[in-house]
Amino acid sequence: MTGSYDYGEVTRSIMIAVAASYAALDLAGRVAAARGRTRAAWLTSGAIAMGIGIWAMHFKGMIAFQLPVSVEYHWPTVLASLSVAILASAVALYATSRQKMRPVEALTGSVIMGSGIAGMHYIGIAAMRLPAVTHFSLLLVTFSILLAILFSLVALLLAFDLREENKGTALRKIGSAVVMGTAISAMHYTGMAAASFVPSAVPLNLSHAMGISPLGSYGIAIVTFLVLGAAILTSSVDRRADVTVRQINRDLEHQVVERTTQLGATNEKLRREIAERERADEALRQSEDGLRLVIDTIPALVWSKLPDGSADFLNQRFREYTGLSVEEGLGEGWLRAIHPEDPASSFDGWRAAFAAGKPFEFEARLRRADGEYRWFLFRGEPLRDEAGRIVKWYGTTTDIEDRKQAEWVLQEAQAGLAHVTRLTTMGELVGAIAHEVNQPIAAIVTNANFCLRQLASATPHPDKLREAISEIVNDGTRASAVISRIRALLQKGTPKRVAVDINQIIQEVAILLRNELARNHVSLRMDLGSDLPRVGGDGVLLQQVLINLIMNGIEAVSSIVRGVRELAIKSSRDHNNEVSIQVKDSGSGFDPQQAEHIFEPFFTTKPEGIGMGLSISRSIVESHGGRLWAESGPTGALFQVTLPAYGRGVP
Amino acid sequence: MIETTPTVFVVDDDPSVGRAIKRLVESVGLQVAHFGSAQEFLRSERPDAPSCLVLDVRLPGVSGLDFQHELAEANIRIPIVFVTAHGDIQMTVRAMKAGAVEFLTKPFRDQDLLDAVQVALERDRARRQREAGIATLRDRYESLSAREREVVAMVVSANSTSRLRRRLEPRKIL
Repeated sequence: MTGSYDYGEVTRSIMIAVAASYAALDLAGRVAAARGRTRAAWLTSGAIAMGIGIWAMHFKGMIAFQLPVSVEYHWPTVLASLSVAILASAVALYATSRQKMRPVEALTGSVIMGSGIAGMHYIGIAAMRLPAVTHFSLLLVTFSILLAILFSLVALLLAFDLREENKGTALRKIGSAVVMGTAISAMHYTGMAAASFVPSAVPLNLSHAMGISPLGSYGIAIVTFLVLGAAILTSSVDRRADVTVRQINRDLEHQVVERTTQLGATNEKLRREIAERERADEALRQSEDGLRLVIDTIPALVWSKLPDGSADFLNQRFREYTGLSVEEGLGEGWLRAIHPEDPASSFDGWRAAFAAGKPFEFEARLRRADGEYRWFLFRGEPLRDEAGRIVKWYGTTTDIEDRKQAEWVLQEAQAGLAHVTRLTTMGELVGAIAHEVNQPIAAIVTNANFCLRQLASATPHPDKLREAISEIVNDGTRASAVISRIRALLQKGTPKRVAVDINQIIQEVAILLRNELARNHVSLRMDLGSDLPRVGGDGVLLQQVLINLIMNGIEAVSSIVRGVRELAIKSSRDHNNEVSIQVKDSGSGFDPQQAEHIFEPFFTTKPEGIGMGLSISRSIVESHGGRLWAESGPTGALFQVTLPAYGRGVP
Repeated sequence: MIETTPTVFVVDDDPSVGRAIKRLVESVGLQVAHFGSAQEFLRSERPDAPSCLVLDVRLPGVSGLDFQHELAEANIRIPIVFVTAHGDIQMTVRAMKAGAVEFLTKPFRDQDLLDAVQVALERDRARRQREAGIATLRDRYESLSAREREVVAMVVSANSTSRLRRRLEPRKIL
């Protein structure tokens, strides 16, 4: 029994095969692109659509085969074949949707798929109910199975290759679909050729069998196309959506990358800035450390004080020297280190200096940690803000003890020198007087002794006696002349006659004798007139007179144990336009009856005195045309000097 | 040895003092020469007789103390009596250490000066005699022959006569 083909149906079956192939290729891409449940949904629905497509092509192909007998189909078997087709499609889709497809997997997939399709084909044939016995050509069956496997391999490779959504794949996909569709059809028709039908009289079991009307055949085709179309459409929409999503994704990723790059750059910049800041901070710290080191190690005590005078910084040397801790020294605590007798030890003095707002400096003794006081020079300098208000006081305190000591030594030396000068001058004078007077006296004594001897001898020589006696007279006269000459020397021996400022001389003498006064704890009060005329004379000699008077005063008061040791010098202009100088001491004075005797040469009340000072002083004053006299009151001796103004009354 | 008249030299720049001292010293029978300065004294002809020097410390030019030193340097060994108008202990010590006989302060007691002058002259006389004795010995020694001088040396160095005899034996002396 031979059959013939309805070529219209054949064509339709091939078209279904091509459409199914296209759907399969398309769906493979979707399945591959999806993940999780979506992937499972795509896989399931894709497998169903593809399975239906394959199955429909096959069924159409069978319908196209027309036998001279009526053919019915056992529909449960038809459903089974459909199931196999769907399963094979699922395997195919699964295989092609994997990330990688190794040759073993490709072969396994193609064997399963090819076997599935072949299985579906022969199950489909088994569903035929017709009055004939079906025979199969083993060779053609084998060939058809191999063909199915081969086609499956090609299909898998094509699908795997075309699953990526690239431009220009549409044409290739259509081409591939045509090839695949044709190959499926070829396999089908080979499978059909393997079966031959021999008429038999066996009664047909037509339970669950049904015939296929031409309308049903069309229906199958239409339903198949609808399913496949829907699948392709869905796939296409999904793909497009997917493409859009991907595009958005790419854009997003691009933006993310861009932003990340920007962020990275910003970050890097920030890190550089932080590092730069840290370096600057470190440099600042080092600079601060350096400055602190300088402030702590310079050989001076350094401090800063607030405008009210309370200390807010004392350098290390300050703290080390005074032994005061930071807490003890700050505020007004540092005042404790200043000697209580110094004016600087009271805060009032400082307040005045701070209130004045000008740089200041003064000297004070500062106690060292071991209790010793040393002289220091305090200097302060205000720091002002733009408005001129004092913000802070900065200052140094420098050790001037050695300088002070040197000053004292110098003063002592000066005073000593003045003293020595006075003594040597007097000593030389006395020596000269002694020698000058001694010579005639020696001659007189010798001659007188000669005379005595002559008179005592048995034969005195009157001539020699007369000679000796006349020599005695001459030498006596000579001795007197020597005294007169010395007096005259003092009176006339002042060739210098210049205008002298008495106040200046008093001040110079006070400086010269400062140490002498201090050594004897004598205070000197000066009351110097402001309108004094100048006097004519020799400043050095007048200085000697004042030194003499003051030294006498010092000696007069230095014996006072209890009570004031005080000297007062007063200069004034008196009614005769003369300059008057008064030197008054707080000693016990002298016997008023001796008031004139004290000016006589060699008169002295002092154990070590030679009694020349006042005598010489009076000579000097008188040689300047002035007067020197003394008064003794209840409060000590008063020596008074008057000197005529320059250019008047000078002898 | 005939004693010549001793001479007292007075050096004082004050003529009045000089004359007074001269008068006083002459009154005890001594010869006196007065000079106003050290230079005058050095230039003078000094007789070969016992002598001494009454010297004022304070002199024009060189001082009395320095002059004492100069005389010692020049080996003029004349005893010195110092007189001064004002002396101190230091000056006195210096003068006495350098061999002064006395240091008197003007005005001095007449007897003190005269005693000092006597001591000084006696010291000079003794010195002169010592020097004269040495001169005589030297003259005698000079008169000896060379061999005599050897023998003198042996006599001086030998400590016993027997040893001296042994040393002189091999030769006849005269």
